[in-house]
Amino acid sequence: MKNKLINIIAVFTILFAVSGCTDDFIERPIPYSIDSENYFNSEDDYYNALVGAYDLLQSTYANAIVGEIASNNTLCGGESATDVIGWQQIDDMIHTPVNSNLKDIWNWMFAGVNRANYILEFQDKTDFEGKEIIIAEARFLRAYYYFELVKWFGPVPLKEVRFQLGDETSIPRSPVEDVYALIESDLIFASNTLSYTAPQTGRATRGSAEALLGKAYLYQDKFSDAAIVLENLIMNGPYDLVTDYDTIFENQGENGIESVFEVQYTDVEGASFDCLQCSEGNIAVGFSGIRNYSGPTFTPGFSFNVPTQEAYDAFDEDDIRRDVAILDIEAWAASTGATFGTGFEHTGYFNRKYLPRVRSANAAGDVNLTNPNNYRAIRFADVLLMAAEAFNRGSISDDKARLYLNRVRTRATLDDITASGNALTDAIYQERRLELVGEGHQFFDLVRTGRGNQIDGFSANKNELFPVPFEEIQFSNGNWQQNPGY
Amino acid sequence: MTTKLLSLLFLVFTCFAFGQEVDIRGTVTDQASGQPLPGVNVLVKNSSKGASTDFDGNFEMKNVQINSILIFTYIGYKDQEIVVKNGDAITVALVEDSEALDEVVVIGYGSAKKRDLTGAVSIVDSKMIEEIKPIKIEQALQGTVSGVNVTTQSGAPGAGLDIRIRGISTNGANGPLIIIDGYQGDIGVLNPNDIETITVLKDAQAAIYGTIGANGVVLITTKSGKKNAKTSVSYNTYTGFQESSRTLPLLNATEYALLLNESYAANGQALPFSNVTGLGTGTDWQEEILNDNVPIISHDFNVSGGSENITYAISGSHLYQQGIIAPKKSDFRRNTARLSLGVDLSEKLRVKANAIYTYIDRDAINDNGLGSVLFNALNTPSTLNPYDANGEPTLVPNTTGLGIEIINPIAQIENTYNDFDLRKINGTVSLEYDILDSVTLTSRIGYNTTIQESKSFAKQVDYGGKVFDVPRSSVSQNAENFNDYTLDIFGTYKNVFNESHDLTVTLGTTIFKTFGNGLFATGYDVPNNSWEFADISLATGTSDARDVGSYTFDERRLSFFARAQYAFEGKYLLSAMIRRDLSTRFGPENRVAYFPSLTAGWIISDENFFDDINSVNFLKLRASYGVLGNDQIGNNGYVSLLDGEATYVFDNSLVQGQAIGVLPNPDLQWEEAKKFDVGLDMKLFNNRVDITADYFINTRDNLLIGNIPVSGITGVSAPGSGSPTVNAGKVENKGFEFAIGYRDNLSDDFSFGINYNITTLQNEVLEVNNSTGFLDGGSFGVGQLAPSRMDVGNPIGYFYGLQTDGIFQNQAEVDAHPSQNDLGASAAPGDIRFVDINGDGNIDANDRTNIGDPIPEVTMGLNLNFKYKGFDFVAYTFASLGNDMVRNYERTLTDVNRLNYVLDRWTGEGTSNTVPRVTTAATTNNVFSDYFVEDASYIRIQNIQLGYTIPAKFSEKFKISKVRVYGGVNNLYTFTKYRGYDPGASSGAPIGGGIDFGFYPIPRTYLVGLNLNF
Repeated sequence: MKNKLINIIAVFTILFAVSGCTDDFIERPIPYSIDSENYFNSEDDYYNALVGAYDLLQSTYANAIVGEIASNNTLCGGESATDVIGWQQIDDMIHTPVNSNLKDIWNWMFAGVNRANYILEFQDKTDFEGKEIIIAEARFLRAYYYFELVKWFGPVPLKEVRFQLGDETSIPRSPVEDVYALIESDLIFASNTLSYTAPQTGRATRGSAEALLGKAYLYQDKFSDAAIVLENLIMNGPYDLVTDYDTIFENQGENGIESVFEVQYTDVEGASFDCLQCSEGNIAVGFSGIRNYSGPTFTPGFSFNVPTQEAYDAFDEDDIRRDVAILDIEAWAASTGATFGTGFEHTGYFNRKYLPRVRSANAAGDVNLTNPNNYRAIRFADVLLMAAEAFNRGSISDDKARLYLNRVRTRATLDDITASGNALTDAIYQERRLELVGEGHQFFDLVRTGRGNQIDGFSANKNELFPVPFEEIQFSNGNWQQNPGY
Repeated sequence: MTTKLLSLLFLVFTCFAFGQEVDIRGTVTDQASGQPLPGVNVLVKNSSKGASTDFDGNFEMKNVQINSILIFTYIGYKDQEIVVKNGDAITVALVEDSEALDEVVVIGYGSAKKRDLTGAVSIVDSKMIEEIKPIKIEQALQGTVSGVNVTTQSGAPGAGLDIRIRGISTNGANGPLIIIDGYQGDIGVLNPNDIETITVLKDAQAAIYGTIGANGVVLITTKSGKKNAKTSVSYNTYTGFQESSRTLPLLNATEYALLLNESYAANGQALPFSNVTGLGTGTDWQEEILNDNVPIISHDFNVSGGSENITYAISGSHLYQQGIIAPKKSDFRRNTARLSLGVDLSEKLRVKANAIYTYIDRDAINDNGLGSVLFNALNTPSTLNPYDANGEPTLVPNTTGLGIEIINPIAQIENTYNDFDLRKINGTVSLEYDILDSVTLTSRIGYNTTIQESKSFAKQVDYGGKVFDVPRSSVSQNAENFNDYTLDIFGTYKNVFNESHDLTVTLGTTIFKTFGNGLFATGYDVPNNSWEFADISLATGTSDARDVGSYTFDERRLSFFARAQYAFEGKYLLSAMIRRDLSTRFGPENRVAYFPSLTAGWIISDENFFDDINSVNFLKLRASYGVLGNDQIGNNGYVSLLDGEATYVFDNSLVQGQAIGVLPNPDLQWEEAKKFDVGLDMKLFNNRVDITADYFINTRDNLLIGNIPVSGITGVSAPGSGSPTVNAGKVENKGFEFAIGYRDNLSDDFSFGINYNITTLQNEVLEVNNSTGFLDGGSFGVGQLAPSRMDVGNPIGYFYGLQTDGIFQNQAEVDAHPSQNDLGASAAPGDIRFVDINGDGNIDANDRTNIGDPIPEVTMGLNLNFKYKGFDFVAYTFASLGNDMVRNYERTLTDVNRLNYVLDRWTGEGTSNTVPRVTTAATTNNVFSDYFVEDASYIRIQNIQLGYTIPAKFSEKFKISKVRVYGGVNNLYTFTKYRGYDPGASSGAPIGGGIDFGFYPIPRTYLVGLNLNF
């Protein structure tokens, strides 16, 4: 009996050993995978992560189109009063914290912050020649995303490494000044590190960083800081106005001499509504397209973001920019034989700068979501007008203000402005609106200068900021308070 | 061995030398019911001679020696011995062994007699499967077993089903563990006719499967031959015709046009139909796409038998089913072949092997939710003709009110091309060795290996500016292979001490490994834009984006377990188990877990004091408690991997980088199910009545919740990222199960049986461990807050929305009510009035509350069978009460067609208090509220069947022991108030289930069939 028991034990032991029944069996490498915490071992690793940080720029299509819809430039449009209800409500200034489109902006911009922070968290891990370029670009991108967040939501939580789960209940919403302080330090580092020419088209340059820094100063009414950095950029940067305004927004006008920073899009990869932020195309373009359009030059879209009659009429008859910026569909149809449908809030006008153009047969579907039109995020004209505003509003030099303003007007074949002081300020404001109409800046230009009441339905001391998403307030479990008035 | 053979020869020799032989025949019946018993083993004692009864209980044996003893054995009945006196026919009535309940039930790493079971176990046998005629085996569990609920994901051919045992507990995989002949397998591809029994372990009895038994365990035993049984051959076939079990009442063309005019006028817009006369009823799009007389065909063939040392079973089957939508484009073909073999190599060494080969070919249309064929049929206006003047499918006009997501469903079917093929071999080889009389060592390996290939062709097509337009043709091909094996090594020690202490100890280990890979590729520019040429070898066009992909996985589990089963005097039963598990699903620190359990039983009817109670034949009380685990979550959730999407454009071309994928949770650990059960089993009135009752409390702790919504600041919304899986809460399911069966034979010709079971279920969330105290999930409409929620005190996944209070009848009522502006539009007469739940004088998202849940409070099954002479009749019904469903298959576009309940809409003061006005203007009527939550309770007659068996005296002339013909109907009728296609459908999601995106209706099937036994 005893022998047999020993035999049994022996058989078991052998079988266990043969079958690999020890805890080692569970120790297996995860096949073909890279652990994110053991990364950044080479220049390629840093570059690859940087591509990931750039990726979220493509989701800023939402910021551009919603920024325009929120302003007095356009109406929401679309198919019906309930088509993209979140946009409709923003257009009418009746939006609430329950708004999936605002939630997208919050989520996507923080996703961008985190991807930039991923690189910055590991910035000291591996050294190689030229690393400071990648670090500077990562800091530029973090500033870009934080600038969007502070514009839209005001105080937001700040962190210089990745946010972790649970941070929403412990990290407060930093005051706007603190957010700007981080933006400024990131952009100063980037301006001092980057050069005016990018290693690849589409990457941020010294010019991009200086322009954004100037803009951040201007948004804080730091006019002299803004004037210095913007003037330096105007003087020393390689940028100039494109002679023919009409070519800027066409495909061949992408990444031209006027482009200080441009978000890159392409139509070679497919996309779907399930993951709009995954698209490599400019989604705002398809949404701005002419409903049921059939005709030359353009392709159809969803008829959102339609310019108002008032915006159209704001242009002088002889302003060459009007017919580039705004398409009068009736006139166009009459002259070309094109046909079109009328959507909700049809005004007869479309945002021509970002209308979908006729595309190659190889454009990937869903074609409405993959338009290749780059978003001209910061144009040199914008830089000139910001500089003019800084010089004027900071009472530094109306001469210089007029100089820069008139440079923009001259390109538009308009007469020079000769006014000074407040009249000059108004002229600059007006010029910004006309020059940049359809590019997503107007709402923020209005509220940062206290002119929000020009927007229908605008409530002062409330609508300057958008509400933090309902879900986020809940996640914070009392850590964050909703913006005033919501 | 040699001596044995010699003695056997000697025995045979003596027979020949001294015996006088006769040929005998006879019949074996069940004493209680008088019904013939098929498959009874008849052995001549001390010889190898034997036979088994046919389907009419008849047997025949030649050359049997006078005065030899015949032993009749049958599972669940007492053995009986008869002495052969002469050649007269023998009639034997076997008595059911109620006291012994000798039926052997597999319980995992062993088996137990049914009477000795101390856990809550339900069994479905091959007879019941034969009656229900399931196309997929999961259907045989619906309504037949208490505590089990089966929901369909779709009525499409070959679509998946979800099994839930005792309710929904976890957010991960809710499905039970499926064990086929000892190894982990896939229930979805089995041929139902290959199955001998299905055993469902519902309580802590499943703890022997520690790791993965938390959702319950379904043990499937496939058919094998019987020893000393003559070859039996059976052939079964049926053919059927299917049709939709339901169509929805939609507006006809005139109703549609009038409604549209009204909604445009309400918003001050021009009328879309200036003249509605002559529109008539228009097109019934459901009729255009739903087909009648859609065929289903099944054949299967079984051979089984055995000699003294060898058993065998061989089977083959073929099933072909077309879909009621697009029969030619959506179908399911399943062919299987199976071999089962058992050999006693010696008295001590036994080997068993079986292998199943399965081939499945499934073609499908877009059959579920937004963009599906049905969705298009429901939304396309009835004013449109199906075909244009050229006989081409009409394009749905590219007008504003129809959006870009609705296309002609006929065109959609025409342009759908895909193919899915699966080839699978699964099986097991096991070796049992009796090392000692009391110790058996078992070693077995079970395996699954699957190759899956699929192809889909995106035809270049232009629907006129819709999202379904394909500007450039492409063909996508996938090849995946999945493999796993389960290796068990365990020893069983079994002994009886002092005649009253019965002890069984099992000790062993299991290793499980699953691994595989997939490869995906797309080719562009398919020649001739045709399915015939749709293969990457011909479609040589490429895109600038990456059009290939792959993945690999390797997941493992290692377990050690021990179990002791002890019985004292056969009436006090105790079983204790412990299992130690490791799984690669968790990080290194959290990999090990221990799962203990204890079960006990008391057979009260064996006590002396019970002797006088004659009406109760058997009574057992049992109780169990145990902890089980769950690791059914995505792979590698504990580690942050660079598998996110990082694609941007530099220098005008795509560049690929690296980004973090799904957010990790390094603290992931086992989910624990604490299962408590008390139950009793009872047999009454000469075993005619059979009762099983259970009360259970299942508490699920450290609930594993995948894709848990988290704050956006973590970057969770980045492309290719996703929410982490967390241990986030505690859910309790408690309920009562009761099953009663009654069978009797009223005369020699007439017998009947009736079985009823009822399960109540109360689900309550006890804890949610995240900062907000709740979890949201699911989706409703476009851009709305998540409609389903999990929080403390409510059932998991309950619907969280606004409560309605009728319709505003006039402006005064609107003015008197708190403002609804914060919902996104101001109210007008005819709009839904919402309740100010929080009483702050303002209606907004903070007024949401519990407005129903998708979990049935009660499920019931009622099954009947009658037998009169050659006729037999069965009926299976299932009821689900108290489950709610959200109506989410309506598009909110202005010009789409609608269900005809809108005819009862508000059109002026006093006209309606339930259905709001129609208008193209923005309203808050589509905000998620109880207006969209419907009671989806239902009773379904799942199956009725009438059969006739031709008397044996006729059939035997053709050497056929049984000929039965039958006709039946599956899914005959569903009684429900629910408006949608199928109240029994669900996506299966614990948070976000019960939301109807347009489930494909289940088919009603008329069957005729034939059973032949040789």
